[in-house]
Amino acid sequence: MKLDLRTEMMLDEYREHLPIYDRLKTLVLERLKHCIEENHLRIAGLESRIKEERSLANKLELKGYKYHSINDVTDIVGVRIITFFSDEVDVISALVEQMFDIDWENSVDKRKTLEIDRFGYMSLHYICRIPESLCHDSEMPELNQIRFELQMRSTLQHMWANMYHDMGYKSDVEIPVEYQRDMIRLAGMLELADEQFIRIRKEINNYRRNVQSLVASGNFNEVPLNGDTFRSYLELKPFRNLVEKIAGINQAEIYEDSLSPYYNVLLHMGMKTIGDIERLRNKYSDGAYQLALLQLAGTGLDIVAYSVALQNICIVAILKQGFGEAGLIRLFAALYGESAYNAQRAERVFEQARKINLV
Amino acid sequence: MIVTISKQEDKTLVELNGRIDSTNADKFQQEMEPLMQGEKPDIDVDCSGLTYISSQGLRVFLLLQKSVMARKGKLVMRNMNPRVKEVFDITGFSNIITII
Repeated sequence: MKLDLRTEMMLDEYREHLPIYDRLKTLVLERLKHCIEENHLRIAGLESRIKEERSLANKLELKGYKYHSINDVTDIVGVRIITFFSDEVDVISALVEQMFDIDWENSVDKRKTLEIDRFGYMSLHYICRIPESLCHDSEMPELNQIRFELQMRSTLQHMWANMYHDMGYKSDVEIPVEYQRDMIRLAGMLELADEQFIRIRKEINNYRRNVQSLVASGNFNEVPLNGDTFRSYLELKPFRNLVEKIAGINQAEIYEDSLSPYYNVLLHMGMKTIGDIERLRNKYSDGAYQLALLQLAGTGLDIVAYSVALQNICIVAILKQGFGEAGLIRLFAALYGESAYNAQRAERVFEQARKINLV
Repeated sequence: MIVTISKQEDKTLVELNGRIDSTNADKFQQEMEPLMQGEKPDIDVDCSGLTYISSQGLRVFLLLQKSVMARKGKLVMRNMNPRVKEVFDITGFSNIITII
C-alpha cells in the first residue's frame, strides 16, 4: 500500500511510541484488575490490545484528515471490560471515572446514541488518560498524555459485536441491507435477554433473602430443602451441640469441614423441608452420640470432623428405619462413591449398632 | 515408619510402611512438607503397609489435604487396611479425604 507522507510520519511516531503503548496497556490492566478485586466485582473478561500497524495505516488512510499527530488517535491502546450483566457496565464505569481522567468530548455511550426504535451495537466507550495521581514516571511523561480507549459491555453485547465483527464488518460500516434486519432482530433479542438475566438475578437474590429470614426465624416446616436453604440452615450450626458432645469423649479438637456432600444424601433420605432435617436431628442425635461413644472411647483420637455428627445421625436414621446394612452401603456409596470399603464399613457399623441396641 | 516418595510423570507416589503415631508424626510431617509446594499437585498415597495411625497422623494428612486443595490439586489415599480405615471413618475424616 502506497502511503502519503503525513501517514508515513505518523507511523514512524507510532513505532517510536510502541514501548510507551506497551507500558500504558500493562499499567491500565494492572489498575483495573486491582480495582475489580478491591471492590469484589466479578467480570466475564478483560481484554487488551495495541492497534496493529496495518490497521492504524488503514485508519489513517481513511480518516487521516482528522489527525494532526499520532497522539490524536485515541484507540491505539484499547482495553475492554466484559461484564456478566448489562447493568454492571454502569458500576464498572463509575469506578473507571474515579480512577482515570475521562475525555468526555470523545467518549461515547453507544447504548444511548441508538434511537428508540433501533437496535444494534451497545457498548460504553471511554477515552481516558492516566492521571498523575495514579502514576507518574518522569522518564516516561507520555504515560499521562497518551489517551487510550476503554470499552465496557455485557457478555451478550460482546457476543453480538464479535459476531458482527467476525462477519467482516466494523460497527461503523453497514452490513448489506438484506441481512440488516436479521442482525437487528438478534440485537433486540439479546437486549431482552440481558434484561431477563437481570430480572432473574434480582428475583434469586430476593428469594435467598426471604429464605434466610425464614430459616433464621425458625419456621423450618415452611422452608423447602434446596441448595440455598440448606446453606442458610447450616449457617445456624445445627449440629454444633452434638459434635461438641462427641468431641468431649476424648477432649478432641473439631475440624470444621463442609457438610455440603450431605445435601444429596438428605434428599435421598426423603427430606423435603428443613423441618424434616430438624426432626431427623432431634430424633437421632442421642443414637448418633451413643454410636460415637462406642467407636471413639478409649481410642485417644483427639480430633474429629464437624461432619461426624451428621454422618452418625444419617447412620442411625437408616438403621432405625430398618434399612440395615444395605441401607448403610447405599449411604456410603452416595457419600464416597462405589467402593469395596463400603460393605466392610457397613458390616462393622451394623455390628457396633447391634451392641448398643440401635438395631 | 518408612516413607517412600517417587514420581510417575506428573503424579507423586507416596508409599507408607509401619505406624504413624506420636513418636514419629513430626518426622512424618517433615517428610510430607515437600509435597505441600508447587502448583496442582497430584498425590497418590499407598497405605497398604500402614498398620496404625493416630490423631497426630490424621493432622498431617489434614494439613496435606488443605494444602493440596489450596493449590487446586488432588490427594488420594488407597489400599488402607480395615483398622486404619476405621480411624478415618469414626473421626469423620473419610468425609474430608478421598479414600479409594
